[in-house]
Amino acid sequence: MLPGLWYNFLVFFLVVVFGVVLGLIFSTIRLNTNIAVRAIAAFYIGLFRNAPEYITLVWFLYVPALVLSKLLESNVTFEPLVVAVMALSLSAGAFYAEIFRAGILSVPKGQIEAARATGMSRTLTLRRIILPQAIRQMLPEFFNECVSVFKGTTLVSLVMVPDLVYGVNLVSSYTGQALPLYTGIALIYFFIVFTMTSIAEKLSNPWRDKTR
Amino acid sequence: MASFLETAWGRAMWNARDHLLDGLTITLQVTALGFIGAVVIGLALCLITMYIKPLYWPARFLVNFFRATPIICQLMWVNYVWPPLFGWPTSLFQAGCVALALQSAGYLAETFRAGIEGINRGHIEAGRSLGMPAHLVMRRIILPQAFHMMAPAIMNQFMVVIRSSTLVSIIGVADLMHWGHHLSAEWFEPIGIMSTIAVFYIVVIGTLSSLFKWYSERLRNRYV
Repeated sequence: MLPGLWYNFLVFFLVVVFGVVLGLIFSTIRLNTNIAVRAIAAFYIGLFRNAPEYITLVWFLYVPALVLSKLLESNVTFEPLVVAVMALSLSAGAFYAEIFRAGILSVPKGQIEAARATGMSRTLTLRRIILPQAIRQMLPEFFNECVSVFKGTTLVSLVMVPDLVYGVNLVSSYTGQALPLYTGIALIYFFIVFTMTSIAEKLSNPWRDKTR
Repeated sequence: MASFLETAWGRAMWNARDHLLDGLTITLQVTALGFIGAVVIGLALCLITMYIKPLYWPARFLVNFFRATPIICQLMWVNYVWPPLFGWPTSLFQAGCVALALQSAGYLAETFRAGIEGINRGHIEAGRSLGMPAHLVMRRIILPQAFHMMAPAIMNQFMVVIRSSTLVSIIGVADLMHWGHHLSAEWFEPIGIMSTIAVFYIVVIGTLSSLFKWYSERLRNRYV
């Protein structure tokens, strides 16, 4: 059963990486000056922030494979792991995008204008003025989202990825030993998530205090 | 409407409309009961950690435990472990509500604590020195002010409860998600059926969250 935990960490790692990339892309698009371009990002963010993760997972489990099979007229199937990472990344990406956007918007406009007025280029303004402040602002939220991504990885058992929850369900249905098994995984996840939360707080607190 | 009924999935959903409506009712009931339970348990846990010294550590542990366990673990834990241990909950529906309530109670306890600690101490001392008993100070001075500060976080937690309520279908509660899954498998038309269910959830949750956003902005403009 316990090797199933590696699937949780694997999915967590992949989802954070893809989610951050999607979040960066869409938060930039969302801050674009063109309203039509902005609407694309608003649509994506609105869609995946409001869709429950379970629905997103089940939708990705069935629909892309079927649509591709019909289009290509051959039998297309996706690995459960691919489906899970795809769905959870898209979901997490929408949340990361909003966090990044809020962080960037928290930098006062006057500072950006001042930097531009003293002759700094756009990229230099971003690197020296916006990012150092924005990152400090969004770190606590960012770590919170990472923790909820980890908690969300337990959902992959529902699309047949053999993670810890999946293994426990299987063993429990064979042996009928529900009490120790389910209490056990609840405690295991509690320890992991609690440790992650404590580390996140330790990491983000000194950063936050520097500017405020 | 006519073209909707011409598709196989449209007909399947139309014929099962009673089930889908029942499912929707169950979803709303689970969400409402889970949220009300979360507020009650959360408030109790928060007051215990703040005012009853000997129970501080047990209550802290419960808050952290509820917050740090994934909802799916908690659903299974309540559904499979509690009945042999405590003889309750007796139905899947109750188990779903309890699990949702516990999960959010942990978060709400933290929110309440931050809200109550954020109240100006002078207000509390003023109330006490005017001769108000502690419970009256709590009811008349602390809670009304704290509510305005906590409203956005509380409403945010309500959205989390609706989103998590889709998961009660995994322990066998016949909510909207359950019927969506069931119909997709029965008619093998998941593209239409699952997409419709997904759009439905997105519209409901999106509408509620914009309403909440509007309301909390109004509260902030009025009182802060």
